Amino acid sequence: MSASTNTRMQPGSTVLWEKGDAAGHDALGTRTFGFWLYMLTDAMVYAALFAAFGVLAHNAGLTSKSMLASVFDAQAAYRDTIVLFASVLAYGYAMVALKKGSRTGVAIGIIVATILGVIFLNMVTGDLEHLFSQGVVPQLNGFLSIVFTLVIYHALHIVVGVLWMLVMLMQMGRDGFTSNVVYRLINLRIFWHFQAVIWVFLFVFVYLQGKVI
Amino acid sequence: MFVHLQGPWNPVWGRLSLQAIPYQNPILVGTFLFAMIAALAIVGAVFYFRAGPYLWREWFTTVDHKKIGVMYCLLGLVMLFRGFIDALMIRSQQAMAVGPHSPGYLGALHGYLTPFHIGQVYTAHGLIMVVFAATPLLVGIMNIVVPLQIGARDMAYPYLNALGFWLTAAAAALVMLSLFVGNFAHGGWYGFLPYFELPYSPGVGVDYWMWAFQLSAIGTTMGSINLIATIVKMRAPGMTWMRMPIFTWASLSTNLIALTSFPVLMVSLALLGLDRYFGTHFYTAGQGGNLMLYNDLFWVWGHPEVYFLILPAFGMMSEIIPTFSEKTLFGYATMVVASFAIGGVSWGVWLHHFFTMAAEPSVNSFYSVTTMLVGIPTGVKVFNWIFTMYRGRVRFELPMLWALLALFLLLVGGMTGMMNAFAASDYMWHNGVFVVAHFHMMVLLIASSIFGAVEYWFPKVFGFKLEQRWGKWFFWFMVLGTAWVFVPMFILGFAGMTRRLDYVPVTQWAPYLRVMLVGMAFYVVALGFFVAHLYVSLRDRMKNRVGADPWGTTRNLEWMTHSPVPAYNFAFIPRVHARDEWAWRKEHGMANLGNESFEDIHMPRNTGVPVLLGALSFALCFALVWRIWWLAAACLGLVVLVIILRSFARKTDEVIPATTVAGVERAAQDALASPARG
Amino acid sequence: MSKRGIKGALKALCAPLLLMLSGCSKSGLFLLEPKGLISQVTYHYFNLDVGIMLLIIIPTALLAIWAMWRYRKGGGGDYRPEWSHSYLIEAIVWGIPLITVGVLSYLSIKAIYQVNPYNPGAISSKGTAAGKPLDVDVIATDWRWLFIYPKQKIASVDRLVIPAGVPVRFRLTSTSVVNDFIIPQLVGMIDVMPGMRTKQALVADKTGQYVGYSADYSGAGLSWMNFETKAVTKAQFAAWVKKTQAAPQTMTYADFNRFAKPYLAVHHHRMVFGRVQSGLLDYVVREVMSGKVWRTPMAMTENMVRYMKKQQANVKAGEY
Ligand code: HEM
Ligand SMILES: [Cu+2]
Repeated sequence: MSASTNTRMQPGSTVLWEKGDAAGHDALGTRTFGFWLYMLTDAMVYAALFAAFGVLAHNAGLTSKSMLASVFDAQAAYRDTIVLFASVLAYGYAMVALKKGSRTGVAIGIIVATILGVIFLNMVTGDLEHLFSQGVVPQLNGFLSIVFTLVIYHALHIVVGVLWMLVMLMQMGRDGFTSNVVYRLINLRIFWHFQAVIWVFLFVFVYLQGKVI
Repeated sequence: MFVHLQGPWNPVWGRLSLQAIPYQNPILVGTFLFAMIAALAIVGAVFYFRAGPYLWREWFTTVDHKKIGVMYCLLGLVMLFRGFIDALMIRSQQAMAVGPHSPGYLGALHGYLTPFHIGQVYTAHGLIMVVFAATPLLVGIMNIVVPLQIGARDMAYPYLNALGFWLTAAAAALVMLSLFVGNFAHGGWYGFLPYFELPYSPGVGVDYWMWAFQLSAIGTTMGSINLIATIVKMRAPGMTWMRMPIFTWASLSTNLIALTSFPVLMVSLALLGLDRYFGTHFYTAGQGGNLMLYNDLFWVWGHPEVYFLILPAFGMMSEIIPTFSEKTLFGYATMVVASFAIGGVSWGVWLHHFFTMAAEPSVNSFYSVTTMLVGIPTGVKVFNWIFTMYRGRVRFELPMLWALLALFLLLVGGMTGMMNAFAASDYMWHNGVFVVAHFHMMVLLIASSIFGAVEYWFPKVFGFKLEQRWGKWFFWFMVLGTAWVFVPMFILGFAGMTRRLDYVPVTQWAPYLRVMLVGMAFYVVALGFFVAHLYVSLRDRMKNRVGADPWGTTRNLEWMTHSPVPAYNFAFIPRVHARDEWAWRKEHGMANLGNESFEDIHMPRNTGVPVLLGALSFALCFALVWRIWWLAAACLGLVVLVIILRSFARKTDEVIPATTVAGVERAAQDALASPARG
Repeated sequence: MSKRGIKGALKALCAPLLLMLSGCSKSGLFLLEPKGLISQVTYHYFNLDVGIMLLIIIPTALLAIWAMWRYRKGGGGDYRPEWSHSYLIEAIVWGIPLITVGVLSYLSIKAIYQVNPYNPGAISSKGTAAGKPLDVDVIATDWRWLFIYPKQKIASVDRLVIPAGVPVRFRLTSTSVVNDFIIPQLVGMIDVMPGMRTKQALVADKTGQYVGYSADYSGAGLSWMNFETKAVTKAQFAAWVKKTQAAPQTMTYADFNRFAKPYLAVHHHRMVFGRVQSGLLDYVVREVMSGKVWRTPMAMTENMVRYMKKQQANVKAGEY
């Protein structure tokens, strides 16, 4: 029994072709869907990195925890967390303003989020510089290699996010809320929230783990 | 800089120096001359026919999924040729270099290739065939066919589509460049740790391999995002999930695999890069590194990857066999389930690529069983194809011949795969030529499906059929070559012969190696027939022109528009009423192509940005390979800048006016009515 | 083409069939001629596995050929274009592979435990009847094999001598990259990894000579990285140990550091060492774990003839 036989239709009354611009699929939805797919690939990258973290921590055995404890300052990381989350929150307000169609609201939200992002970056690079200057470098051993890679890879995402926010400010100023600008703002929200989520993992596994023995 | 390097480095040229050019090697010089002559001929022809602007306007800058698909296929064919030459070199070297008394030439002790050279040939052959021949061909065909099958005018992201192609092309170019500047990796296509670390692979070979691989991985990931979004979001009205053509299902499952697995590959390569450039210790034997980590990460991608390759091939078979059996596919729902079952299970089997690493027996048992599980849905597919032919009317035209060859190769490949999954047996021949023979059965199956698919869909894309006479010669000589190369290879597998040998110490194996060379001769003849096939087809193209449905018994949406397909695919988007919509319409006497009161059509506009980004990525990777830091930094900066600037572009769409559409449609109809049809 | 050439070509053309059917010359087909306990067990399961699968594959192939032929266009088979589903057939096509895979999985797991390199069921099930095992430490360098007999305190390069009928237990490591240790007629592969120690075990049934080699790609010298395995009687083995202990060359940790430099074993230099500093394998594992590497030179075998000359000069100069 094939699908072709069970649907009997009258040739005359059957619509065979769509008139009107049927290519007008849900454009915004398509854009965001694709971005979710991209986020999935990035999540896989992080998953692989965290898997590597697990393996190399296992290699280092008990020393991994003491290494983390002596290297990372959980309090400083707590401060980083607050700043990053505040940035995400600010972006959230920008999105609320977007719903209302308020250009200034969006702009203020994004500017605040950007500034907080830059502050976050500044703090992270400061920490890293401090560690490097003390001779704690990724080249010391496999475990530190993955720890620094995770932290730096996350920081690179923040750089991208900050750049993207600046670009969005300009495009918004130039075009207003065109569909291009809107879908990009929505995608940027997904991106920015995702960085906060990843940070939670980093905070737990890298910064906190050394403290909880 | 960064790490200790053997050999010189300077800030301007990095590691690049005149010594990097292998002008002393007659083989490479010959290849270089051949490449130069070919390139000059092409460039000359372009200038002579003033084709430059046309090529740029219509092809290089295109965002049309069909044209991008065609370019993918051309890239795949060129690389297939390169990979084939590599295969010839491997086979001839091994046939010559058997036993301690075999003579040596060109600085080799035996045969004519030293370990330094054959190592590169092996690596390049494997990488090229998997990543730069099979993948582009499959992606190309998916690119062409999927939007047509779901009744869409284009992909979800045409610009991303072009970008994915140009990144892949840049990666392929990087591999080709390594022939003439520097050298390629010397291990095997999948990389060996810690052998690929700097102390053991001090040259630039591994860096070429790594960056080319990485670039193509990025390209393929973009392609997968695009195809998934296209299938999910762009289906024509009425096309519910269970009405989707089976090839589209196959594309969906395969791209889900790609989407989730390629990022893992990127990580595995990137960590190697960090080791090689910054001196970290991810995969080193000492200082807390873990070399098994690489194997795990790589094969977590690697095994799903082989299913990424084979699922579209299965999809092609599932399209061709019903058409030429003049019957519906047997067990459609089962086929869909089987595709996803294969995709799902393929995630849980990677450890079978290193059963010999002394894992606990319980671990090996687990992966042995999961691997065998893959055999179940695969077996189901075979039965379903057989039952599709059952009670049909089988026509042995070229596409069908290829599909049937693929079916029989699957029986051999599947059985030997199951033998590999039997871990205790695998201990005997892992890293041996038995495994090589196994996956070549599978890969040749893929190649057969591709040839079948090209024969099948070619008239749709170009508007004329390929001729059948030379094509059949080509087919049969491919069959002969396959038998003569791989039967002896299986026997050598049972002999316990291992892979990647430059010199074969066991003289009893010589006869088998010579027989394989005869098989290669058959393949060479087959290549000749292939060229004849193409030439005659092109020559007689006017005679072989076809209408919308060249095979008469086709079933899906792609046959519901003119051949060649107009830029906008469908003048009107079709509404779907049944699975196998086109067959349904033919059955119900509704097989007209709706041709009155045309409307304006919005299409994306061509853009040169993807080509530019491809070129910049190529330069970036080249700079990284040779550690020319200033160039790398400049290229990276430019890439970022170009991406940002492009995002400011306003006019990315254009309109095809209704009058133009009407003209195109009328011309297509007239062409068919004209008496030129043979 | 000369007559001989034509004949040769003809032979080569027909060879796959001849090779398949005749089965005359079994020499060189190592896996089909197992000569040790482990390899025989493997072979037994291999036959079972292949037999069961052929039971499915051959009828399937025949079914395919039959369907193709019976239902060819114009062939007179009944034509039912809409027939595309049958619960019975679906049940069978899922059922057959399912059952087969079930049976094969059971066999596979059993076989894995039987030939488990760390504690092969095939040997341990014999208990003490298997005899007192001999211990051998194996170190793979670039690109040679060093076999150390820790109890006897002797070592041998690229030649493994073992008593037949006695279990041999190996501990293996590598100095630089990953190799795979295999003696196809006696035992299958086990990875030999730097900074790690793996194990393997075998029993040779009869005296004789068997080829062993490295299977995993380890660099330029791989093709020549083979060794000879000599299974001898217990008495002969004792005599060999005695003779070797009298050999003048010795190997300390420092000697080993020189020995482990990259060396292409084209002209097998089958040395023996009469005294070996104890704990060498563990020393190597420790050294590698803490970061010791023996580098490979750039473009080493770009011209192999030339490199071999250089290597021979170095050997003369006592570099190894
Ligand atoms: C029934 C399905 C299959 C099973 C049970 C199976 C099983 C295996 C196993 C166990 C290995 C590892 C052997 C070893 O390294 O010792 C292997 C290797 C391989 N298989 Fe399959 N396989 C199957 C299908 C496929 C397919 C569909 C493809 C490709 C398109 C494929 C391509 C490969 C490749 C490329 C390798 C070797 C990679 C390398 O070492 O270079 N296999 N297969
Ligand atoms: Cu696999």
